[in-house]
Amino acid sequence: MSFTPASSYRADKSLKQKMQDGVLVSFTTIHHPPEGFPAGPRHIGLIKLADGTTVTGQLLCTDASDLQIGQTVLPKMRLSKVNTEGLRLYDIAYEVSALKAVKEEFPGYLVALTGPSGVGKTTISVVLSTTIGKDVERVPIVTTREIKDGDADEYTHISSEEFADLKKNNLLATSTSIPSSTEKRWYGYRTSDIEAIWAKGKIPMVITEMNLLQGLSSHFGRRSILSFGLLPPGKSKRQMLSSLLHRLRDRGRDTEQQIKDRLKNAEADLQFFDDRKELFDHLIVNDKLETVIENLSGRVLEHVSS
Amino acid sequence: MKEQIFITGYGQTSFGEKWNQGLRDLMDEAITSAIENAGCTALDIDTVVVSNMLGEVTNNQAHLGAMAASLLPHHPPSLRAEAACASGAVALHTACALLESGKAETVLVVGVEKMTDTPAGKIASALMGAADAEKDAPSGLTFPGIFGLIAARYMHEYDLSRDRLNTVSAVHHKNAVSNPFAQFRNEIPAEKISQSPKVAEPLCMLDCSPISDGAAAVILSTKLESPISIAASQIASDTVSITDRATLTSFAATKDAMEAALTEASLEREDIDHLELHDCFSIAAIISLEDMGFAEPGKGITLYEKESALSINASGGLKACGHPVAATGIKQIIDVSKQLSNSGKTYGLTQNFGGAAATCGIHILKHTPVS
Repeated sequence: MSFTPASSYRADKSLKQKMQDGVLVSFTTIHHPPEGFPAGPRHIGLIKLADGTTVTGQLLCTDASDLQIGQTVLPKMRLSKVNTEGLRLYDIAYEVSALKAVKEEFPGYLVALTGPSGVGKTTISVVLSTTIGKDVERVPIVTTREIKDGDADEYTHISSEEFADLKKNNLLATSTSIPSSTEKRWYGYRTSDIEAIWAKGKIPMVITEMNLLQGLSSHFGRRSILSFGLLPPGKSKRQMLSSLLHRLRDRGRDTEQQIKDRLKNAEADLQFFDDRKELFDHLIVNDKLETVIENLSGRVLEHVSS
Repeated sequence: MKEQIFITGYGQTSFGEKWNQGLRDLMDEAITSAIENAGCTALDIDTVVVSNMLGEVTNNQAHLGAMAASLLPHHPPSLRAEAACASGAVALHTACALLESGKAETVLVVGVEKMTDTPAGKIASALMGAADAEKDAPSGLTFPGIFGLIAARYMHEYDLSRDRLNTVSAVHHKNAVSNPFAQFRNEIPAEKISQSPKVAEPLCMLDCSPISDGAAAVILSTKLESPISIAASQIASDTVSITDRATLTSFAATKDAMEAALTEASLEREDIDHLELHDCFSIAAIISLEDMGFAEPGKGITLYEKESALSINASGGLKACGHPVAATGIKQIIDVSKQLSNSGKTYGLTQNFGGAAATCGIHILKHTPVS
């Protein structure tokens, strides 16, 4: 079998998509792998990924008796082989998840709004809590960043030490640090906050960003999340970024340096919508507040009633 | 069928490791014996269809159509058909189309594969060409591996035990004892099957059809009559990669080809007396029986466990006869023809699939005894 640079490049394009959690549909142990692969038993699985596509991949485990159909597996990039020309070929292999047991039960719905800074997430969430506030409640973000005006009920401020404790004791559903040139900020959601809202019979809503969304999806399961992506108006990425820049300046909350940081992150966010389509149920362009609200509350209420 | 197509003659080499015969020699032997069996002359043949999958890889040889035609004194027009392990069925289907259209009156279909010259690792990679090179192969999957995945899933869904699966290969080996063309003519006790070396768990070596050399030829004609004719010739396709399938435990192409074939022949499956099915791996035989509707899903194995009116792989199947890839579909036609002549029954059926049934061909043969 020949793996030429060109065919490897085409295979690489699917790597990003293969980088998802999945469930084992079937598995086998091959005792004579084909030419070019390391000799000896090789465990291979057929895996249904979180976005519904199916792939084949090597399973990283020492003993096949650990494997079970229906088990959750986690992706891991690894060196697959070195071809005769010395080209190092990488592939996604899957690890049997030992820590995270398969979440059989469905905990409930979460509404997630994801979008770059300045797209209008906060405005939308404020309006939503008045229109469908009896069904939906905002989940506070736990953060180590300094207190600012307008943070009121959006953030719960704690110290870096407290945050590290929460993380260590597994009390956070998800957490991330957002790099910034001025400070190291940690953000996260407490599992207890979310469960408290479910206990009230309401739907928790998170105004979030890409890393936290991925974390929530693997913690509660992708199908628990009714996920909306918010895009700034604009036909091209450049137009979208420029409309974000204007909104951030108008808002007047950040310094020019912070705005620069935010725009850098925004660019990554926009790319994320493309790369991880499977994490979003609906992508909504925030050009007119009323239509966005109508659209969102309609879809959320649809889920509440169903 | 738009025309009545007769199976005028057939012939094959024995299957196995034929170290002193190359592609040309194998074809020559099968063609000579088919012409002799037909009782016609080579000059009656007006088109040649060759089925072969791996000539380029195993023998550095493409252009097998012309090579086969050059074995006949008048070098008739020729072509080659390739559809992995279903090459035989697709070649037959092509021949039927030529005959039905009137382009030809007598077609020689010859399937040939020469596999044992090639080291095992290379042949395994070459056979993987029947699967998807970008979706299946990069993980290091082999063809037995694909059927290992299918078997594991089937055993999980239907709670089939490894011991019960042993029956399939044991029956095939038993049937092959009386077949002089078979590669392995020895009985193997069922319990030995799962004790053989593991290949792609849960499948063991004796679950897999072997690497073989061999050729098989049939002469189809609208002009030269014979008691056996083709009542239906159908092929169907499915996704090449198993990752694009909704289920692993059933093959849509088999179902589609079967329905189309029964419709074409205006038959019910109960009318079939002899069946040669594609048991490239033991699990494939069980799934094929279910997809063709001879057993309920999950119950295919029961047809191997008890005597039934339907004869299944009386030749020994791919497991015991050997599986020279593209010759198999033609060889099945020969076996069913012989079975019909011997039993005097009316209908027999062959099922020949390629890859994980990304192509499936079904032919129904009709026997009209001369009174």
